[in-house]
Parts: sequence; structure tokens; C-alpha cells
Amino acid sequence: MSGSKLSLNAEIALDDFTLALDTEVPLDGVTAVFGPSGSGKTSLLNLVAGFLRPDRGAIAFGKDLWTSAQPKVWVPPHRRAVGTVFQDAQLFPHLSVRGNLDYADQRADADAPGYPRTKILDAMALAPLLDREVHTLSGGERQRVAIARTLLTRPRLLLLDEPLSALDGARKGELLPFLETLKTDFALPTLYVSHDVDEVSRIANRVMMLDAGRVIAEGRTDEVLSRFGLEAGRNPYEQASVLRGTIDQSAAQDDLIAVRVGDAMMWLAADIDLAQGSEVRLKIPARDVSLALTPPTGISIQNMLAATVTAIEPTKRPAFQAVTMSVGTQSLLAIVTRKAVCDLDLAPGRAVYALIKSATFHH
Amino acid sequence: MPDLSALWLTARLALVTTLVLLIIGTPLAWWLAQTRSRFKPAIEALIALPLVLPPTVLGFYLLIAMSPNAPFGGFWLAATGDTLSFSFAGLVIGSVIYSFPFMIQPLQSAFEGPVQQAMRTAASLRASRIDAFFSVAVPMSVRGFVTAIVLSFAHTLGEFGVVLMVGGNIPDRTRVASIEIYEHVETLNYADAHALSLILLVISFVTLFCVFLFNKRFPAHVRL
Repeated sequence: MSGSKLSLNAEIALDDFTLALDTEVPLDGVTAVFGPSGSGKTSLLNLVAGFLRPDRGAIAFGKDLWTSAQPKVWVPPHRRAVGTVFQDAQLFPHLSVRGNLDYADQRADADAPGYPRTKILDAMALAPLLDREVHTLSGGERQRVAIARTLLTRPRLLLLDEPLSALDGARKGELLPFLETLKTDFALPTLYVSHDVDEVSRIANRVMMLDAGRVIAEGRTDEVLSRFGLEAGRNPYEQASVLRGTIDQSAAQDDLIAVRVGDAMMWLAADIDLAQGSEVRLKIPARDVSLALTPPTGISIQNMLAATVTAIEPTKRPAFQAVTMSVGTQSLLAIVTRKAVCDLDLAPGRAVYALIKSATFHH
Repeated sequence: MPDLSALWLTARLALVTTLVLLIIGTPLAWWLAQTRSRFKPAIEALIALPLVLPPTVLGFYLLIAMSPNAPFGGFWLAATGDTLSFSFAGLVIGSVIYSFPFMIQPLQSAFEGPVQQAMRTAASLRASRIDAFFSVAVPMSVRGFVTAIVLSFAHTLGEFGVVLMVGGNIPDRTRVASIEIYEHVETLNYADAHALSLILLVISFVTLFCVFLFNKRFPAHVRL
């Protein structure tokens, strides 16, 4: 499947704007469809699944044309090799858990390659739930049944529409490992709709960012998320950068994990085991980055990166400005007061030290 | 003891009417539940008309349409060799129109919202539309079906004005129970009017009681 692409070249008028897509999504790994609510994320999934017909254009899955105006082609949703997991699971209330799974099993294309039922049920830990009525399940259990049910249809493309959004914090934490299992044990290309930076950086390899119906950024998760952080005042989310690094166990000390980021070293406290040399991503909230012109001494902050200012932009709040810096080949964002920018005489090209108060692992 | 043939005719009329309504009402209610057509409000208003219109008005128009001189009545006469007015078939047509909202409205509200979303879910699980309708929409709407069937049946039992206009008062052919009661009262035969009225009252109450009992005891959908 690698090498082939989902090509989206379609337009549809929605209530507030036109969703206009002209892009190709590589069919491997997890691609996050990311953006604020109302940016067209779910409509994009509906176009791919066949629940919406584009006004013009075409959608093709590898060599299969799913919809097009010229030549006139329309493959109805149930004939597309795509499985959708809906936001609120959408289990059938008139069937038991087993009945819901059987429903998909009986209708799957027997000739399509798929995973054995036992593997799917094991991965989602469903054995104890099989005879339950669906209304007795917790939110997380419902989503696990929904994911298994979709896998049983033998999809070649998986669409996940904010599978965590209906869950509270603790339940999210319960379901996330299952989503990661889905990613590692079932090599299915996936479009993952989300508006949560944490989720996206934990699960997605690639990000396609939507705003008001347009793709405004596409690429590797860390790159796009960092760039996204720059969009000061345009997004309602916590602003953060994501830095790539590698684990360097030789430098580990005092129960801290050492991560090499470019030429610099960062130390983090975390209860996870990571192999020497493994690639990690660090999420750094923009508010937890302070700036200094000279390396400060006598300070408790351990992580310090030499950086060069590349841009200074206003934020939604007039007292604050967003300072973008390059750290080696990566970019880092700091939100500091306008007064600080003035006092330090910050401008593009200026060399600074970024003091990082907190960073968390993603992976 | 009253003549029970009127009661038997009423039951037959109500059964046939309900069956016809189920067959034409289900696809129409389905269409109304999912359409975005701009004609939808007009069609909904048209279907609801019998709720507010005097049955005599409806009956009057039907009588005119069923006359052998009218296109529809003439066509019927040519096709079947029988006139539509003052016949059982004419009664069925009148009753179907009169009870239309009682079949459509419960079905339409049962088919809206969650059932439409479940149809998408079924499509994502490889079910064709017809497969999804019978495997998902119908079991999820069972309460709507029971309500629609029982209300249509009970409403047809109680019909008077339309039947009188369209069918007249021909024993064994168009004289239904409600008209027989009227007849008894007109001829001051209060004993038979009492007996027949009580029978209708009990049947109607028991029918409706069963619906409410069903809706209370059973979930909105059948378990398979």
C-alpha cells in the first residue's frame, strides 16, 4: 500500500465556506486532519467516506476512482474500502456487542485482505464485553467496540472522527493506548480528525491542517505543529512547539532522561523506558519558554537552548508577543511580554538563550 | 342484540386501511424524514389536513372525485366495472386519506435523527441502503411502527363523516359501526345503540391501552 495515495481534488459548498481540497495523502501511517472546530475536518471525512458528494472535482483511492464529475463516477459509501469510526461510536442499540461485531463481519468483503477476528478482539480487549448490551458500556468501551467493528469490515483506509472527544480526561487516558495499538499492530492508513494538539502529536505521523475549508499546512507532525504555533492569535489552543530529539543514555543522570536536540542536551523527568538512540518528540508550551541574551547562572532551570530569533509577531493579547526562533534546523516558539521584547531589544537575527521551564514527551 | 355485520365490516375496513397505509406510508414517511426538498413543508401540511378539516369537506371532495363522471371515478369504473362511490373500495380510499397523518407522523419522527445517523453507520459497515433499512432502521423504529399501526387502526374504527359522504349507508357494503349507531339513534332504538357504542368504546380503549403499555414496557427498539 505504501507509495499509493488518497487524492483529494474536490470542492463542496458548506454553510459558512467552501471546502476546497487539492492534495494527496500518502497511504501509510496516521495523518491527522487538524484544525479548529468548524474548519471542515468532518466534512473532509464525509467526502472520503461518501456521505457527502462534492460539487465538483474527484476523489481517488490509489487507482480506484471513488467520485468524479468527468467521467461521471460515484461509488456509494458501502462499496468504498473505507471504515469510519464516528465521534460517539454509533453502536447499534438493538444489537448486543457481539451482534454489532457480527453485523460488520457478515457484510465484510470476504476476498479483501483483513485481520483475523481473534486478533482484532484481543487488540481491543473485547472478550469480557461480548455479551453485554451496548447501553451498559462506558464511553471508552463503546469506542473500542466501534473500532473493532470497523476493523472487521476489512477496510483499506481508516477514518477516525475525534474518537476521544466524547470522553472525559480519565477515559481518554484509557483509550489512547488502544489507539496506539491500532497504529502499531494494524498497518492501516488512517485519517485522524482531531483538534487536540496532544493527541495529534502522540498519534499522527503527518498533519494536514485545515482552516475555513482550506489546507493551510501539510507535512510531518513536528514541523507542522511548530509552524502552527506561530499562528499567534489565530488558534484557540495552547501554543506549543514540538522539537525532535534522540535519547542519549550515556548522558542520563540523577534519574533524568537525556535527550539530544541538535547540538544541545535536554534533561527530562519521565517514568518511561526509551531505547538508546530512539527518536522522540518533545512538546514545549510557548509560555514555558523564557529568553535571555547571555547564558544565566544561578538559576534552577536546567534546559537551555541557544537560538536565533526569526520572527516576532503580535498575539491575541496586546501585552504579549510571539517570538519564533530557530534551534539548529528546528523552530521554537516563546510567548513573552511586549515589554520584554523591548527591553531585550529582540529582533530577527538576534542570538538568544531559550530557557525551557517544562517539556513533555510524546511517544 | 345488535346486528354484528356492521362491526365486522368496520374491522375489515380498519384492517385493510391500515395495511394500505403501512405500504404507502412507510416510503413516504422515510422520504419526509430525510429530504431537504423545499416542497417538504407543503407536503407535510397536506398530509396533516385531515386532522383539522371537517370530515364532510374531505368526504364531499372525495364524492365528487369518485363520481363516474369525474376522471378518477370514470377510470375506476372502466378498469373494475364497479363504481367507486358507495362501494367498499371507495370507503378504503376515503379512510386511507382520512387516517393518513396517523400513519405518517409517528413513522416520520421514528425515522428522523438517530435512525438516519445509524443508516450512515450501516453504510460504513458495508450494508446497502435496502439492507440497512431492514436490519437497522426497522428494528430501531419498532415503537414508531406500533404507534402508527394502532393509531391508524383505531382512528379508522371511529370514522363517521367521510364514510357517510362517500359510502352512504348500505347494509353489509358501506354501513360501518359508527353509522349503524347513528341509524339506531335516529330510529330511537337506544338499546342497540348502547350495545354497539359500548363495544366500540371497549375496543378503542383496549387498543390504545395496549399501545401505551407497550411503549412503557418495551424499549424504543427491538432486541435481536
